[in-house]
Amino acid sequence: MAQERTDEELLAAYQQGDPGAFESLLRRYRAPLFTFLLRMLGDREKAEDLAQETFLRIVKGAPDWEHRARFQTWLFTIARNLCVDQSRRDRFRRADSLDAEGKDGEPPMVESVPGPGIDPERGAASARIRPLLQKALLSLPAEQREVFILREQAGVPFREIAEMIGVNENTVKSRMRYALEALRKALAAAGVSEEAAAEEPAPGVGLGRA
Amino acid sequence: MTHAESRDLLLELAYGELDAARAAEVERHVSSCPECREEKAALEEARRMAAPVRELEEPSPGFDDRILRAARAQAQLEHDGNVGEVIEVTGSVRPLGVDVARIDAHGPVKTRSAGRRRPLWVVRTAVAGSVAAAAALALVVGNTLETRRNAEKAAAARSSDFEIRVQPAAPQAVDSALREAEAKKGQDDLDRKASEVAGAPAPPQEKNDVGVHLPLRKRAPSGVRIQGSGGDASESQAKAAANAKKERAAAVENRSVVQAGGGALTQKVTEEKPSEGNPSGGKLSRSTPPAVPLRDVEPPQTVAARQETPRPMAGAKAYAPAATAEAHRSLEAPAVEANAQQARHAGNYRVAAQLYRDAAAMRQRENDSSTAAWNLAHAVECLSAAGQFVEARKVRDELVRSYPAEASALAAAARALREVDVPAASSSPR
Repeated sequence: MAQERTDEELLAAYQQGDPGAFESLLRRYRAPLFTFLLRMLGDREKAEDLAQETFLRIVKGAPDWEHRARFQTWLFTIARNLCVDQSRRDRFRRADSLDAEGKDGEPPMVESVPGPGIDPERGAASARIRPLLQKALLSLPAEQREVFILREQAGVPFREIAEMIGVNENTVKSRMRYALEALRKALAAAGVSEEAAAEEPAPGVGLGRA
Repeated sequence: MTHAESRDLLLELAYGELDAARAAEVERHVSSCPECREEKAALEEARRMAAPVRELEEPSPGFDDRILRAARAQAQLEHDGNVGEVIEVTGSVRPLGVDVARIDAHGPVKTRSAGRRRPLWVVRTAVAGSVAAAAALALVVGNTLETRRNAEKAAAARSSDFEIRVQPAAPQAVDSALREAEAKKGQDDLDRKASEVAGAPAPPQEKNDVGVHLPLRKRAPSGVRIQGSGGDASESQAKAAANAKKERAAAVENRSVVQAGGGALTQKVTEEKPSEGNPSGGKLSRSTPPAVPLRDVEPPQTVAARQETPRPMAGAKAYAPAATAEAHRSLEAPAVEANAQQARHAGNYRVAAQLYRDAAAMRQRENDSSTAAWNLAHAVECLSAAGQFVEARKVRDELVRSYPAEASALAAAARALREVDVPAASSSPR
């Protein structure tokens, strides 16, 4: 195959009965999707469960999928909604916990904190920062966290995030601004310094600071 | 570019969402605006600090297995070109534990058959993670008797003659006790009826067929409304009894009939061996559809084509949607509803949704809130099945606004959206 097929081409091929096409999609998205859920939930086991569930729903929904929607958007929409469901379940199950209530008397999406499981092969600074970052993420209101992770990690454009979660784009952007500001403050307070940050992989766009 | 515009676009700039010209404009403003410069710097600093969020994590080994199994099973199931062995049961059924895609319990359902790899339906059930508890088909050992004289022979043939009976699928959301009671009642009725029919005097050389009539749309629900449009079982049974008589006269050899009401297809189903509860053990074939109102809406060749050609998953969408929608504008509500249902069963969910919405408006004009609400609920289900969740939510909201008292229709709409639904709390702007 000369050119790599797009997600949508792969899904169409799967609709036509080619299971290999689905396998390609799975390979393409397993890590990004799992990472997304892990950042959202801070819990590997739950993230893995929901990632599997997400793909299974893709399998089930594939016959009715229409080309008008981007596959990626569909995938992350399902995952995101599963996170919301999860939070609802957790909410019913929640024991009385001091910080269980979010800012507006609303429960946080999850209460679990990240497990250990730090990859030793990664940079020392990154390994140090990741748990702090995860903690900071979990301290964000769920609405801000999902927007931030969808944009920053999953790479979903603001407009599509707005469609996914059913709010307008300005709302998405304002949540994003709050999230970035809160993270910046939280990480700075946790001692994440500029030079540690510099070791991190480049964010890709807009690094050049005047 | 004004300061406000520029400030608004800083995020898009940071994330590379602007085209080059626009980005240059914003950059130009930023270079001359200390406030924007500061904000841009803060955004970038935050992104740098949070950069590890993008490091990919891998799920544990074995993560793929279950998913790939499901994917292969589904592809096989959907793509099995051997349509002679595939029945498409129309109506609100959940046959033999094969999980009707939860996305649309009323959509096309295909059941494979005839000694093929039998785990398919098992796998499909696993796909859904749901259980066959709600199975709505029961195999009933043959009331297809050769003649009364040949009772023994028929008894021997029993192993090859089964009737598949269709009952409305019970939704997971319905209280399970209620569901069980309903299922039991339905089954009792079926059993009673089966024995009636089997025991009834029949002309020699004639076989007894039992049709189960499923009204897929009713205006005045009695009893439990099941899964959107399921209709209720007791009414089905009453009609079935009447049908049974009629159909006995027209009985064809070695045949059982599952009739879905309201213009849906009639299926002939013959099981080859008594593999109790196993749908893959039988040979299934399709009988000629009965002449019912609105049948001519779908060109006959469509049915034929569906039988003869291998069908891709989305194959049913070949059904000409625009023409259908147009042609039905001038019809009465029940006709529009029947057409909606037909489009839905053909997998044309968007067409179906539009027709249901049209029908809802008509019912509204007739002051029939209950049916109007149900039509909207069906539209929500169809839109969800088509993946049109934004639109589905809009219709659901309309339903909630217009018919707040129609609890079961509201519940059906909510079920249809439960996969993708968002609690109000998290979708409200902060």
